[in-house]
Amino acid sequence: MKIAILYGTETGNAEMLAEDIGDALDADYEVSCTNLSDFPVTDFDPATFYLIVCSTYGDGELPASAQPFAEALAAGPASLAGIHFAIFGLGDSEYEETFNFGSKQLAELLTNHGAAQLGERPTHDASGADLAEDLALPWAKDAVALAESRFGKAA
Amino acid sequence: MTHQIAIVGAGPSGCYLAQALLKARPELDVDLIDALPVPYGLVRYGVAADHQGTKAVARQFARIFERQGARFFGNVHVGRDVTLDELRSAYDAVVFAAGLAGDRRLGIANDDVDGVFGAGAITRALNGHPDAGPLPDLGVRPLIVGNGNVAIDIVRLLGKRADELSGSDLGVEQTRWLAESGITAITVLGRSTASQAKFDPVMVKELGKLTGVAIAIDKAGTADDERGKKLLDALAAIDGHGTGVRAIRFVFSHVPVSVETDAGRVTGLRCRTAEGDDTVIACTSIITAIGFEDTGDLPRADILAQADSDAPVYAAGWFRRGPRGTIPDNRADAQVLAADILADLDGTPAKGVRPVGAIFEGRPDVIDYQGWLRIEQRELAGADADRCRGKICDRAAMIEAARHQEETSP
Ligand SMILES: Cc1cc2nc3c(=O)[nH]c(=O)nc-3n(C[C@H](O)[C@H](O)[C@H](O)COP(=O)(O)OP(=O)(O)OC[C@H]3O[C@@H](n4cnc5c(N)ncnc54)[C@H](O)[C@@H]3O)c2cc1C
Ligand SMILES: Cc1cc2nc3c(=O)[nH]c(=O)nc-3n(C[C@H](O)[C@H](O)[C@H](O)COP(=O)(O)O)c2cc1C
Repeated sequence: MKIAILYGTETGNAEMLAEDIGDALDADYEVSCTNLSDFPVTDFDPATFYLIVCSTYGDGELPASAQPFAEALAAGPASLAGIHFAIFGLGDSEYEETFNFGSKQLAELLTNHGAAQLGERPTHDASGADLAEDLALPWAKDAVALAESRFGKAA
Repeated sequence: MTHQIAIVGAGPSGCYLAQALLKARPELDVDLIDALPVPYGLVRYGVAADHQGTKAVARQFARIFERQGARFFGNVHVGRDVTLDELRSAYDAVVFAAGLAGDRRLGIANDDVDGVFGAGAITRALNGHPDAGPLPDLGVRPLIVGNGNVAIDIVRLLGKRADELSGSDLGVEQTRWLAESGITAITVLGRSTASQAKFDPVMVKELGKLTGVAIAIDKAGTADDERGKKLLDALAAIDGHGTGVRAIRFVFSHVPVSVETDAGRVTGLRCRTAEGDDTVIACTSIITAIGFEDTGDLPRADILAQADSDAPVYAAGWFRRGPRGTIPDNRADAQVLAADILADLDGTPAKGVRPVGAIFEGRPDVIDYQGWLRIEQRELAGADADRCRGKICDRAAMIEAARHQEETSP
């Protein structure tokens, strides 16, 4: 099983977190780490498990680096059947009404196109006391374990 | 030899640039030089004390020093403590990311009288900048000129009750100043129509959470584009909000004509309305939040001209682009600039004239990254009950805190 970490970011917090997750996994897996802005929607591969990290901007919108990806996906007929992903959100509870809507939107978009989400969608709060990596590293480990059971040891 | 790069200014643009350079070429020597003893520029001294989520970007910048090998030389004022020529001869490339800290003036009669203050000066004082003077007396009816996010930051802080500042890093003095301001009315005034205001709609909406204010929007008019419509919706959503003791009124399409004074005190702002009428809006002080400009501290025009030439001199962030753009804009910009710099360096051998950082050697009170960590440690340990940090606001005290550990442990 290959792992691809995809991130959507504006100020780089999601990118930093994606790199941390990559560092934590790359001893055991073949891992890549890519900005959603550099990931064509046609590149999804069923043999790869996707870990997605995405922040929120504006009034509950996607961060700039995830917008072209989301637009391309929404516009096209692409089917993501057979694609497995897990997603982690970055946000700020100062924006209480739209807290972590970016990752929420992205998860919905992917599942609407047929992809299967593994696990919940944990979120980080930039105004909270937790460090993003303290929440995201255990999430990534759990998600990868879930994926392994789905993909089977053979993959 | 590896190339050595000096970045003047450790604000967001300098930090994002160092991050991008070192990501592409981990072996580069990157030195961030700042006039202040502490890094991060306006993340620390501009971004509002009650927006800690935004300030959290500093965690990324810390990694530049902790993991990517950049060095910090704080309390070094380029142009005074180290000359531009010294930097140019010591480094393979010099990047000016020194920001634009001067407050743009209104450019009308009496715009320099006592009682007219710049938003930069006020926000620096609110953020405990060591070179900011004490917070001034605004009287009970301050008026803020400007329709950008900085104006919103100020009106929000002036409108907040003490309990709404919990979790911030607003200092003791600043907290007392706000609590004792006695402000009864705040006017926010702009030249343009409401739909053309530069406010971010989310910033406007945030005002609708304040519990101690009563908000009124004067004639917001109509919008004919998507952005303008969103902004008018946000303004409409806060119009009539609250019944608190501090009245906040937004006034649009008023062009300032002159500051009205009586016996040397500000009494109002004379404006021309869209209809061509002359009107005076009474106020006790004026805060101008109409943009920033060069302080004249560095020869900016000269530096920008060099940056446009083949010289290994570059400019980044607000210093290059002007006072526009948020933190993410500086990141995007820095990534492009990093690629340019690396392409230029690829064609030139490293100077390797002296060990890195040698030009700062023997200078007293240069604060390195470890020194900043000691300052930060003291700030975090010294935070009041409902504050996340107790900023040290005095330069000498910062330097003392930076040194502290060296003196106590043999
Ligand atoms: C009041 C205010 C609030 C803001 N709030 C937000 C916000 O909430 N969100 C957001 O995204 N953006 C915000 N911004 C915009 C954001 O702060 C800027 O986009 C960003 O800081 C520009 O980065 P910079 O590195 O170019 O300049 P700066 O952050 O100004 O950094 C310049 C650095 O250079 C140093 N320097 C200057 N002269 C010298 C010298 N001669 N020698 C050595 N060092 C020198 C300074 O000490 C400073 O550390 C705000 C701006 C202001 C003014
Ligand atoms: C202008 C602005 C708007 C934001 N809007 C939201 C929002 O609606 N909901 C949310 O949960 N977080 C919001 N955030 C918080 C960011 O998602 C949070 O700071 C995150 O850590 C940024 O990650 P990034 O650096 O990867 O972009 C906003 C931040 C800014 C600066």
